[in-house]
Amino acid sequence: MAEAIQKKLKGEVEKYSQMQKDVSKGVSARQKLETQLAENNIVKEELDLLDITNTVYKLIGPVLVKQDLDEAKATVTKRLEYINGEIQRYEALLKDLEKKSEQHREVLSSLQQEFQKAQGLAVGKV
Amino acid sequence: MFEKLPLSQPLACPRSCYAKCAWRREVVKDCESRMQHWKKVSGDYDTLNNRLKTLPDQLSYDITVPFGPLAFMPGKLVHTNEVTALLGDNWFAKVSAKQAQKIVSHRMKYMKNELDDLSKTAKDFEARVGLAEDLENISPGKGDYVDIREDARNIEAAVNKGRQRTAHKPNSKPKFDAMLDLKEENEENEEEAEDGGSRKCTITEEELWAKLDELEKLEQLEDEQDRLCDSADMNGEDTSSLSSEEEKDGDAAPSVNGLSLKPSRTSAPHSKAPPFTDRKPEGDDDEEEEGNRLPTIFFSHAMEPKKVRINTGKNTMLKFSERKEQKEHSKRKKKNGHSHHELHKITTPVDIYRLFVDVKNGEPIPRKSILKSRSRENSVCSDTSESSAADFEERRMVGRSFSHDEATHSDTSDGITEEDSPTAVPLHHASRFEAFSGTVVEKDPMPSAVPHLTIAPPALPTILERKQEEVAPDIAPPQEAPKRVSKFKAARLQQK
Repeated sequence: MAEAIQKKLKGEVEKYSQMQKDVSKGVSARQKLETQLAENNIVKEELDLLDITNTVYKLIGPVLVKQDLDEAKATVTKRLEYINGEIQRYEALLKDLEKKSEQHREVLSSLQQEFQKAQGLAVGKV
Repeated sequence: MFEKLPLSQPLACPRSCYAKCAWRREVVKDCESRMQHWKKVSGDYDTLNNRLKTLPDQLSYDITVPFGPLAFMPGKLVHTNEVTALLGDNWFAKVSAKQAQKIVSHRMKYMKNELDDLSKTAKDFEARVGLAEDLENISPGKGDYVDIREDARNIEAAVNKGRQRTAHKPNSKPKFDAMLDLKEENEENEEEAEDGGSRKCTITEEELWAKLDELEKLEQLEDEQDRLCDSADMNGEDTSSLSSEEEKDGDAAPSVNGLSLKPSRTSAPHSKAPPFTDRKPEGDDDEEEEGNRLPTIFFSHAMEPKKVRINTGKNTMLKFSERKEQKEHSKRKKKNGHSHHELHKITTPVDIYRLFVDVKNGEPIPRKSILKSRSRENSVCSDTSESSAADFEERRMVGRSFSHDEATHSDTSDGITEEDSPTAVPLHHASRFEAFSGTVVEKDPMPSAVPHLTIAPPALPTILERKQEEVAPDIAPPQEAPKRVSKFKAARLQQK
């Protein structure tokens, strides 16, 4: 009895740790997006500082590709939109994961109690 | 086995405190390290900004270029005002040094915000850590004693409070410039006791005096500022009054310093008169005066070259204009009372400004330099109706009468017009003798006068004059030159 519960518990714990990993992954990805958002915001603001006389380049691989200033601005705004979308997506994902992990924790705690009981019983029996 | 399970074991309160405390300490540490990082970066940006400031000072710099990992070689840094800036996210922009500085300052602002945020959070967490530590201090003992200890702590806290008060003055001083604030600060602050205790009352007394001195200085400064403000206001009034006085002087000028000012004024009428006459032949002189008084300074400049010219007697036109001046002087003298009336309306520079704008009705830019405006008016006058033409002709007649000889005068005018625009010569002849309503007639004599006024600078009038003369013969047929000279000579002789 105790053995079975222990096995189950182990499996659950593994799942749970996997979930925690996912959460941390999501968090780090989100953080990355956050930094990118900040960076792109800065880029946008600094692009606004420039005028038509300035040439704008985008580093693509090893080469600097000349770009139109307006085009660059449009690209950056698009990118900002995309990043914002991504952040929202990750936010939802993280919330979901949080909920799941919460449930999982409950399951785990109940399992643990069961296991303890079983062990106690076993000990008592012994 | 159980210990491995996360969160399965309900943690004891002190342990959670520890954990939280550790976590908070971690956060504080993290904040501090990040602040360190930002400070370093901002230092880098500072140096970069300084470099960018001085970089475009020279066209090129001699530098040693790193050549591979080991070698350097002498080189030159060129295009010092061209910088390729990485904006982030692999975006680059070619910018001038100035723009680069703008970008740098933009980033500095961002970093400052970041630093402020970090320091705020760090402070926040530090306070919490302190609180947690206090809690820890309580919790290690048994539950029974906790209450007693709390009492003791309270006393300690009270003691701390006292210490803090004395200690806090030095800290708070630079921030607050008012004593009241200082006191309030002392009362308010209860947290920063740790470092406060070390500083003693002796210091605080000194500080107090220093503070007092500072406040005194501040007061003085404020007083001075107030005074300055007042004086500034006064100055403003003064200037206005001065200008108005100047105006009055201008009014009085015809009688006061007639020689210097009158010609300056009349120099304008010479070109300005037509538009005025166009409007209202009677108010001609008054308006001229008003228009002229405003720019007296400029005209006095412009007039001198003319004077010189007159002295040299190279241009009969100018001579004639002088006559005209005299005539106008006399006119003005006659009408002086009237003109005074009109002028008294102008009490401030604003009025003059308005007048000026009015004079150049429809002109969008009333501030154009007077010389320019004059030339423009000339062009206007060339377009204007017969009244102006008639006026001009009248003047010309006067000039003729002075020049004694009609034939010579016409000759001279021909010579001048040819100088200015040789191609237009035939037109002149025709229009001049046919009718005065012809616009071309007006245009040509005026430009001939305008260049003298506009081009000749106050510093080297004669030289420029000569230049003009020199240039003109180049364009004009060579035959004209000798003719002219003879005319001048004749005119001079006649004058004598």
